[in-house]
Amino acid sequence: MATKIIDEYAEMMKAYEQSGGNVGEFSNPNVPSIVISGNKVLGKNEVKGLIIEPTPTKDGVDVKITVKKGTKILYPMALCFGVLPKEGVQIINMEAYIEDEAGMNAVSHCVFPNAEHIVHKMNYKVHLGNHSFFRYKEIHFHGDKGGVEVVPYTEGEVGENSYFESTFTLKEGRVGKLDIKYDVDVKKGGKLELYSKVWAKGDDEVNIEEKGNLKGEEAKALIKSRVVLQDKSHSKVLSVVNAYAPYSRGHVDCMEVVQDESVAEAVPIVGVSNSLAKVTHEAAIGSLDSKEIETLEARGLTEEEAIKAVVSGLLK
Amino acid sequence: MEEILKVVDLYLKKGNKEIIKNFNITVERGSISVVLGVNGAGKSSLAYVLMGLSGYKPDKGKIFFKGIDITDKTVTERAKLGMTLAWQTPASFEGLTVRDYIQIGMKNKSVALVKEALEKVALDPILYLNRTVDKSLSGGERKRIELAAVYAMHPELVILDEPDSGIDILSLEKIKKLIVDFKETGSTVLLITHRDEVAEIADTAFLMCSGEIINQGSPAEISNFFKDECNHCDHKGVPEKVVQENVK
Repeated sequence: MATKIIDEYAEMMKAYEQSGGNVGEFSNPNVPSIVISGNKVLGKNEVKGLIIEPTPTKDGVDVKITVKKGTKILYPMALCFGVLPKEGVQIINMEAYIEDEAGMNAVSHCVFPNAEHIVHKMNYKVHLGNHSFFRYKEIHFHGDKGGVEVVPYTEGEVGENSYFESTFTLKEGRVGKLDIKYDVDVKKGGKLELYSKVWAKGDDEVNIEEKGNLKGEEAKALIKSRVVLQDKSHSKVLSVVNAYAPYSRGHVDCMEVVQDESVAEAVPIVGVSNSLAKVTHEAAIGSLDSKEIETLEARGLTEEEAIKAVVSGLLK
Repeated sequence: MEEILKVVDLYLKKGNKEIIKNFNITVERGSISVVLGVNGAGKSSLAYVLMGLSGYKPDKGKIFFKGIDITDKTVTERAKLGMTLAWQTPASFEGLTVRDYIQIGMKNKSVALVKEALEKVALDPILYLNRTVDKSLSGGERKRIELAAVYAMHPELVILDEPDSGIDILSLEKIKKLIVDFKETGSTVLLITHRDEVAEIADTAFLMCSGEIINQGSPAEISNFFKDECNHCDHKGVPEKVVQENVK
């Protein structure tokens, strides 16, 4: 049994590395971390002021993370979630409490290297106190078969003068089915930034719904999506910013690049219910700019290399 | 002197309009040749045809680079042979840093060379290396980065399409110096411009009007002709010989 756990841990680390992670983080006592394979917690490291409370369930793990009041976590927390078999379900219910005047950065790698039919659901609840910050990056690695259904839902509340940034990146391997939802309220002086960067191939399906609610005076939100589609992939991006309070400011910026027989749809919705608030939006759907491609070809890149360079930049 | 570029009887049509016609030039290796012409003369189209951009395949004629017929070669093939183009209005690239952008065309990806190239165009590497080549740059900044990128490539032939447009007067001297530096570091320059004061740094000058070369000579001769005749031309877009032929 112990050997099996060690092998599973080693395989998770291998996939973590393939997705761009540094496995050394999991042996550094100063770096807070957690490793979850399926519904097993394979490793966990807490640091002063940070409490990680995982509870295994039938299909996954419930995790409560608390950053205590006044604590700023020095090193970004490393999270590794995944499913190693070809088939399976993983449901992670995570609650993050960043208390007043506290802050943390976290990078989560979600790895499904052998996926043929995997469902990964992440229900995230984020509570930021006042004068606090939380930067969360989620990076996915799916292998090349496209058999993953990823459903990350995030609900959150950004306290007064606090900052929440969330970045979802899926550009290595196939997407499969992706259904992202964000719904975040921002209080007085708070700031929300949501970034989604996805490269869809084959018959991948991408659905992104991002919603920022500016409920406090001078609250700010930026919602930025970049989706690159090729082959027969589909995407739909719905970005919503509602400004309810005076001097609140929001901006939606969505760009979808279609290639081959792919299909994209973008729906920016901006709502203002206070005469002193302002929300702007921009959305662009189209093919890659031929001038960009030819510029790089004139530097000696092949068309394929030029497309990769332009797309990598867009998703950076 | 060795010919590096030879254009023979080139024609390009867009719809029913002949953009380039009866076009013949020879550029010698190691020289700076200037193609001077008013706006709309077909200068940028010439640059695009020479580089092989999509939509700019000549209807007739041949282009030879280092003696090789490149008329049907792709942009990449031409670049790999040793030629490149600096666009008049360069493209923006979201997410690509100035350093990455300049390094793309370099054989030796040394950061020291990237810094040197930026200094050549009067941009402080400390401020610009990690900036993104996107719309946050002004037109002038983007243009200088374009020139730095082609300089760092050390191409055998560089086509500079209006490198002086959108550049302030104080920086113009630096751009002229950079063009001379191209030559001194072994590149041949085909300079395309509508500013006669820039032509003085060239070895040979061609005057382009309505898609064809109507005069050729020393930069001083061609600049004077351009100043006297073209800047105040009352038959823009129609070469004088055509006017004269019609009068006859």
